[in-house]
Amino acid sequence: MGIIRDKKAFWVFLLPALLFYIFAVFYPIGESIRLSFMQWNGIGDKVFVGLNNYSAMFQDRVFYQALINNLIYLLIVVAMQLSIGLFFAILLTFMKKGVMFVKTLYYVPCIVTTVAITQLFRSIYATEPQGLLNLFLQSIHLNQWTTSWLADIRTVLIAVSIPEGWRFTGLYMVIFYSALVSLDPSVYEAAKVDGATELQVLFKIKIPLIKEILLLTLTMCLTGALRGFDIPFLLTGGGPGNASELMSTYMYKKAFSSNQYGYGSALAVFIIIESMIVVIILRKVFTSREESGKRNLTKGRVKMWKSQRRGA
Amino acid sequence: MMKKKAGKIIFGIVILAFLLVQVYPVIWLFIASLKPTVELSTTPFGLPKNVTLDNFIKVLSDGKFVGYMWNSLKVTSVSLILIVSLSATAGFALSKFRARISKGVYAFFTFGIMVPVQITLIPLFIFYSRVGVLNTSFAMILPQVGFALPLGVMMFVGFYSFVPDELIEAAIVDGCSPYRTFGQIVFPLSRNTVITIASMYSILIWNDFIFANTFISSSSAKTVAMGLKDYVGAFGNVDWGTTFAAIVISILPLMIIYFLLNKWVTEGMTMGATKG
Repeated sequence: MGIIRDKKAFWVFLLPALLFYIFAVFYPIGESIRLSFMQWNGIGDKVFVGLNNYSAMFQDRVFYQALINNLIYLLIVVAMQLSIGLFFAILLTFMKKGVMFVKTLYYVPCIVTTVAITQLFRSIYATEPQGLLNLFLQSIHLNQWTTSWLADIRTVLIAVSIPEGWRFTGLYMVIFYSALVSLDPSVYEAAKVDGATELQVLFKIKIPLIKEILLLTLTMCLTGALRGFDIPFLLTGGGPGNASELMSTYMYKKAFSSNQYGYGSALAVFIIIESMIVVIILRKVFTSREESGKRNLTKGRVKMWKSQRRGA
Repeated sequence: MMKKKAGKIIFGIVILAFLLVQVYPVIWLFIASLKPTVELSTTPFGLPKNVTLDNFIKVLSDGKFVGYMWNSLKVTSVSLILIVSLSATAGFALSKFRARISKGVYAFFTFGIMVPVQITLIPLFIFYSRVGVLNTSFAMILPQVGFALPLGVMMFVGFYSFVPDELIEAAIVDGCSPYRTFGQIVFPLSRNTVITIASMYSILIWNDFIFANTFISSSSAKTVAMGLKDYVGAFGNVDWGTTFAAIVISILPLMIIYFLLNKWVTEGMTMGATKG
């Protein structure tokens, strides 16, 4: 713990940030919870309705559809980001030259605003004139596969999930890559000397060693996908019908389009509970590994961690 | 030997193919923005036959988009100054002062990482419309800073824990006040942390859509991300050439920051990611 004893200075340093944080993050949480027990259209008086918003929510067909859509969205996004990210991180570790260059370029989609990304994908999915995707399918003679991707209820959910998965794949790749290269080579060189193949080294040694990072990224990927909003909202607005509706797009519409602030708040409270449950479950499942996983983050620390493990 | 060579070639092809998938859309964006609208609909791919800057001129000449850029710049820079100064001071308080509640306060800050930003939209919208600050830059700055503080504080606490206590003790013994110790000794040491946080959040805040879309409706306060939607009419009625040019203009500042500060950006983003 620290060494300066000046109580007044402590609060002078801490208070501005603390107040800002409480006001921007915790005041809204409290207000959302309070509003979720009210019925309010934004103009008249707020009416206390107890748990009515919540019971309405659990009887709302669209709520369940949004929940299921959100799970499918989550599966696609997480699968894309983690598997593609990991695969290319592994490939990069075998590369000798130009790693920095490739890494830099892979990362570019992460810095492009979601509005631009949606415009980009809107033109890729377009039908009038034919977008990149349909033209590509035509060029390889799969005309029967071409469709109006964003208007077809069978494809729209996948179509809004892919841009989100695509844009952050590079981020996860960079995370996995730095975890993989920070491993101590002596651990797996020994196995290679004993005749282990590259694949065995990879699956039996390297991947188990970065398990903590995998779990951490899984947490962040899952909570990120549970909050998914920008791309579906911009690309389809949840439509056609509610075919690509997610929890937060539904909440947004209820509050800001239909002026049902109470019901919208109940959905918002549900979203926060949902993401906290996911975090808590993942933490529970992997508690003992949490700490070492965090330490795994920086190169210098990873060595420390391993020497401790070897010592133990 | 042959097998090894074949493997190498396949390996190179796979890397390149993925590079193409990741980067081609972005490159295509740049190329498409240089094409006349007619050419865009007849030959959307490949290099432009007639390079034109018309799209860019169209975007920049009506002055609106320049205004959006200015708004984005305002929001981003004010937020960054607040994020850095608030999290640096709080980080200093939490790591270098002997106070019993430090641990609890730190845990309180880290809790914020789990909170989805959507929760703030309704309450802040209501609050803003009551006090009349909807459609101002302040409306976006408040939540941007609030949600950046958890990670900012964590990063500064993380860095300050490496600053030896002896250094501060020596300064205090020499009669340096805690404020001067921070301003003249500790804070200047944290240059890398500042750059990491600033480069990462400049990207996130510049790109923000959800706060801007909720709190801003008048075109005088719009930011770049929202301005990009200007060129989209009703369904299908998109002026693609102009849209692409506007997108290119909007991401250029970030591209420049990113390629200049590449190391810090990726470090910050991956760190932000793994802590979330």
